[in-house]
Amino acid sequence: MGDEAKNSSTTTEDVPQLNQDELIMAQQRQIEKEISESIPLVGELESILLLEHEYSNDTVYQEKVRNLSLKYSSIRRTRPDGNCFFRAFSFAYIERLLDKKEEFKAFYQKAEKSKDVLVELGFQQFTVEDFYDTYLDVLKRVGDIENTEEAKAELYTLFNDQGYSDYMVVYLRLLTSGQLQKEKDFYSCFIEGHRTVEDFCHQEVEPMYKESDHIHIIAACAALGTGVRVIYMDRGTGKAVTEHDLPEGCIPSVHLLYRPGHYDILYPV
Amino acid sequence: MAGSALRRLMAEYKQLTLNPPEGIIAGPVNEENFFEWEALITGPEGTCFEGGVFPAKLIFPPDYPLSPPKMQFTCEMFHPNIYSDGRVCISILHAPGDDPMGYESSAERWSPVQSVEKILLSVVSMLAEPNDESGANVDAAKMWRENREEFNRIAERLVRITLGIPT
Repeated sequence: MGDEAKNSSTTTEDVPQLNQDELIMAQQRQIEKEISESIPLVGELESILLLEHEYSNDTVYQEKVRNLSLKYSSIRRTRPDGNCFFRAFSFAYIERLLDKKEEFKAFYQKAEKSKDVLVELGFQQFTVEDFYDTYLDVLKRVGDIENTEEAKAELYTLFNDQGYSDYMVVYLRLLTSGQLQKEKDFYSCFIEGHRTVEDFCHQEVEPMYKESDHIHIIAACAALGTGVRVIYMDRGTGKAVTEHDLPEGCIPSVHLLYRPGHYDILYPV
Repeated sequence: MAGSALRRLMAEYKQLTLNPPEGIIAGPVNEENFFEWEALITGPEGTCFEGGVFPAKLIFPPDYPLSPPKMQFTCEMFHPNIYSDGRVCISILHAPGDDPMGYESSAERWSPVQSVEKILLSVVSMLAEPNDESGANVDAAKMWRENREEFNRIAERLVRITLGIPT
C-alpha cells in the first residue's frame, strides 16, 4: 500500500490531494478487510463459557457471561464485516428450519414466490435474479439432504463459501428492503432525518457491509415471518444481560448475542 | 464469484442491447473479456455538452455487483465531477460511507441492485447538472460557478473534438 501511494503521487501530480484521500481510504479498507477476513464468515459451535476467557480482566462482563450461560450453552461467531446480522440471522433461521421439515417446506414455497414480490415492488428483474437463484439453490441443496446433521454441515459449508454466503446476505437485504417499502407508512415513523423509506433502503439496507439497526431486524423478521431474541451485552450496570424480542411478544426462532457493533448466534440450553 | 459477476454482466449487456436508453451505447470491449466495457454517451440536449459523443471505459471488479465498477472517460473532458485523467466521481460509483467527496446523504449510492444503465443515466445527469460542491476538478468547478461563458466555450470545443470537427 505504501508503495502504491508513492507511485501515484509522483505520476499524477496535478491531483495529488484527491488521490491521497482515495489512497488513504483504500488503505483503511484494506486493513479492515484483513482483520475481518481472519475471522470465518460463520464460525464453529463453541461453548458459551469460552466467552469468559475473552474477558479475563473484566469482572462486569464475566458476570454477564456466567449469567448468559444459564440460558445458553453455545455460541457461533460471525465475521464482523457489517453484514453480521444478515448472515447470522439467515444462517441461524435456516439451520433451525432444518429440524422442522414441514416449516422448511412452507418457507421454501414462500421463498420461491419472493422474487415476484420484489419485482412488483419495482426491483429490476435482472438485478435480483442471481441473488434469488443462489438463495433458492442453497435452500434446495440443504433441504434435499435427508439426514439433519448432514444438512446442517452442508449449510455451514455453503455459508463459509464467500460466493454463496454473500449472495445469501444480499438476498436477505433485498427481502428486508422489500418489506420496508411494502409497509412504508408504518416504517417511515422510525427513520431518522428527512429520508424517505426508499432512500433509507437504497443507502442503509441494500448496500453490502452496512450495519443493521432495530428497523432492519424488525423488517427482516417480518419478511421471513419469524422473530428473534436479541441478548444485549454491554458495559451497562447490573449482572443480567438485557433481552429484547423482535417483534415484541414473538416466540423467537433465532437467538442473537449483540455486543456493541456486532451480532453472533446463540444456542439455548 | 467471478462466475456470478460474468453472468450478471452478460444479463446487463443483453438488457442494454434490447432496451438501450436514449443517447447511450455500452458493451464489452470484446467478447473475451466482459469485465471491461466501452460506453458512448451523447451530451444531453439543451446543455453545453449537447451533440458531443463522449467515449468512456468501465472496469468491473471480480465481485461485481457487490462492489461498483470504475468509470473513466477516454476523451478530453472538462467537468467539475471528472478528474483531469477522465475518472468519473459521482455518488452512485461509491458504496455508502465510502466516499472521498462527502456526498449529500440523499445521494444515490452503489448497491447490488444498481446497474450499468443506472450509472450511465447518472453520468448523463451529471453532464447536464454538475455538482460543484464535490469538485474532482477544482478548476472546472470554479469556472462553472464563476465564469459560465468560458466553461461553455471549453465544453463546445470538447464536443467538436469528439465529433472530429476542427476546433
